[in-house]
Amino acid sequence: MDGSSKNIQFSWGKKRSKGGAKMDTQFYGSFTFDNVKYSLYDCVYLFKHGEPEPYIGKIVKIWEQNQAKKVKILWFFSPDEIRSYLSGPVVEKEIFLASGDGTGLADINPLEALAGKCTVVCISKDERNRQPTPREQAVADYIFYRFFDVGNCTLSDQVPEKIGGLEVNDLLNPKDEQVTSYPCQDVQGVDQKLGAGLVALLPQSAVKMDDENLVTAVTPPMSGAIPLPPAVKEDGKAKVAAVSLPPAVKEDDKAKVAAVSLPPAVKEDDKAKVAAALLPPSVKEVVPKPTQNIPKRKEKVHSEKMPSKKLKLSQDLTSQSMAPVPEVKVRPGPLELSTTQAVDRSKWFEPLPWDEELLVADEDGRLVYIQNLDIQFGASDIVELIREALQLSCIAQPINHPTYDDPNNGKAYAVFRSRKTADAAILKINSGLVVGGRPLYCSKGLLKVPKSSGALVGHLTITNQRMGARQREEQKKAVSTSHCSQPNTIEYDLALDWMLVREKQARKFSILHKKHKEERKSFAAKIGK
Amino acid sequence: MATSDEQAEKEYADFEARVKRTIYIDHLSPLVTSQVIKAALSQCASVASVEFIVNYTIQYDIPAAALVELEDESQAKAAVDLMRDFPFIIGGMPRPVRAMHAKPEMFRDRPSWPGLKMEIHWVTEGDPEYDGMNKLKRLAKRQDAENMALVKNQLEEEKELAMQQQESLDESYKKYNMLEDIVRNGKIDNLARHYDMNLTHD
Repeated sequence: MDGSSKNIQFSWGKKRSKGGAKMDTQFYGSFTFDNVKYSLYDCVYLFKHGEPEPYIGKIVKIWEQNQAKKVKILWFFSPDEIRSYLSGPVVEKEIFLASGDGTGLADINPLEALAGKCTVVCISKDERNRQPTPREQAVADYIFYRFFDVGNCTLSDQVPEKIGGLEVNDLLNPKDEQVTSYPCQDVQGVDQKLGAGLVALLPQSAVKMDDENLVTAVTPPMSGAIPLPPAVKEDGKAKVAAVSLPPAVKEDDKAKVAAVSLPPAVKEDDKAKVAAALLPPSVKEVVPKPTQNIPKRKEKVHSEKMPSKKLKLSQDLTSQSMAPVPEVKVRPGPLELSTTQAVDRSKWFEPLPWDEELLVADEDGRLVYIQNLDIQFGASDIVELIREALQLSCIAQPINHPTYDDPNNGKAYAVFRSRKTADAAILKINSGLVVGGRPLYCSKGLLKVPKSSGALVGHLTITNQRMGARQREEQKKAVSTSHCSQPNTIEYDLALDWMLVREKQARKFSILHKKHKEERKSFAAKIGK
Repeated sequence: MATSDEQAEKEYADFEARVKRTIYIDHLSPLVTSQVIKAALSQCASVASVEFIVNYTIQYDIPAAALVELEDESQAKAAVDLMRDFPFIIGGMPRPVRAMHAKPEMFRDRPSWPGLKMEIHWVTEGDPEYDGMNKLKRLAKRQDAENMALVKNQLEEEKELAMQQQESLDESYKKYNMLEDIVRNGKIDNLARHYDMNLTHD
C-alpha cells in the first residue's frame, strides 16, 4: 500500500564458488526472496517497465558483487514475440527457449526484478530430456520443446549441445519429478481440521529446524498462516500475504500426501523445489508456494488468462515492491474481496476465489441475496452490518451492475458459515431489519443470470461468399481493429444511430431512477408522520 | 484506534484517487479482452489495469462492461471526452462503446465508506412503523421491477436497431456488389448505350 520499500525478506541459500577479478564475487545456488525460494535453473517471471505481460526466463547464474545481487536469466520467447518466424501449429502453453548467440539470449538483472516462479516443462523427445509425467505436463504453467536461435532467428526442435556456455542437460527437465504443492483440480471444499492440524504442526517444526534453509522455508507459513495469532497482529503487509496463503494451505492437503511418500527419493540439492527438498520426512507438511497456488487457482476462475495470472502474482509479491520492480497493478482481482477482510475471514475458513465461492455456497445453501442496501456500502461495511445486527459472521460483496441496476437499491451477496446461520439471517433480516431508514429484504440463492451470447447486439457482419479466406481474414482484422469511426463511411452513420439510441436510454434511466428516489423520499416522509 | 482510523482514511483517499483516474466503459462486446482495450486506448491513454464487470443481477443478455484504470486523471478525462464526442469502435462495428468517469460505487472491492453511520433499527409487528416499513419494502420491490422492465425494453430496442441496420447493410452491400459486377463484365457499356448516356472510363 505505501510506496516505501520496507525490508522484503531475503536470504542467501547455497553458496557456490567465489570468483571475479578481485575475488569479490560470490556465486550462489539458491536464495529466498520475499519468502519464495529460487534455485538455479528455476523458471521465473520478470516484469519489464511499461510492459503489461511478464517475461519468462530461467535463472542460470546467481551472484553478489559489491552489495549488488544479480541473476543471469536465459530467456523464453512467447509465440507472440517470434510470430514472424513461426510457422505451423503452436501447442497450448508453448514457449520457446532461446539458443545460439547474440542479443536476446540472456540478460543480467537485479535479483529484485524477479516477480515469482513458474513451471516450465520440457516435452522434447530428446533422450537427454527426462520425459515429464502427464500430470507434470498438465499442471505446468508452460511447456517447451523448441528453441529459437537468436543469432540467425530460426526455430528448431533440435536440442543444442550447449546454450550460452551451459550444458543443455542442466536446462532441460530436472531429474526428479517436481513435488510441488500445486492445486489439485478436484480439491473441493475445505477440510478445516486438516488445515488446523497443519497449522498446529508449524510452531514445533519451526523449533526443530536448525538448518538455515529450513528456517527460511518455514517462514512463509509462519508469516502468512493466519490462524496463528502472532501473524494476525502483523502489519498490513502480512495481510496481503495472508489473503494469498490460506488457499495455499488448503492446497497442501493433497500435496502433503505426495510429499510424505517422497522424502526418500528427494535429494537435497538445488534442483529439487522448495516443497520437497527441505523437509525431513518426520515433518509432515509441505512448505506452500503461495505465489504458485494463487495464480493457478485464479486462472481457472477468470476468463482472462495471462493478465489475471499476472495480477495475482504481482499482488502477492509487488505489493511490497522495491524500486527496481516495475510498477505493476497491485490490487485484488475483480472478484476478490478487500484485503481488510483477510483477518476476519481467515479466522474461520480459507475462502475460494469469489466466483467459485458463490457456486459452492449456493449448493450448500449458505448464499443470501440482500437488497435495498445503501449503494455506498462497501464489502466490509456489509460484513460489519451483519455482524452488528445479527452477530453472525459472513463474507459479502456488493454486486450492483453499474449500467443497469437502480442505484437506489443496493444489492449484495453474503455467504455464511453454515446453512443454519444463513437461514437464521434471512429470517431475521426479513422480519424487520432497517438500516438508515431502509428496510432490507433478502432471499436465498443465486440469481439465474443467462450466459453471454458471445457477440454484441449491434455488431454487424458482412456475409459474402465470393471473398477468399484471406480477404475475409483481412476484413475481419480491419473491422475488429479499434478505431474512431470516420465520417465518410457507412459505419459512421450506423454508429451515430447507436449513439442516439444510447443517449435516449441514458436519459430514460436517469429519469426513472430520479423518480424512484423522489418516491422513496416522499414515502418515507409520509410514514414518518 | 487513532492509527486505524487514519489508515482507513488514507485507504479511502487512495481509493478516491484511483476512482478519479478510472473510466467505466460499457456497450462492450463480450469477445473483447483486456489486451484489446489496452491497444484501443493506447492512442490517448496508457492503461494500468482492466477489470471486467461480472453480471450477477441482470437476468438478460447484456453487453460487457469494464472498469479501466488509466495512468492519471487527465488521461481519464481525455478518454471520456474522446468517446463521448466521437463514435469509438472496439472489436466490431458499427456499435460504438460508451465511456464515463467511474464512480466509487462501481468498484466492488471499494474500501469501507468513511462517512458510514450504521443506524441499525429493528422494527417488528406491533411497532407503529411496522406497516410503513413494509410498504417501503414493497415500494423498493416494485421499483426494482420497473427498472428491470426498462432494461428489458431497452435491450429489445437495441435488437430492433441491430436488425434494421444489418438489413440495410446487406442491401447496400448487394447493391455495391452488383455495380462492381456490371463494371467488371462490361455490361455497363450496354446499359449506357441503352440509356443514351456517355460513359467516361478512366
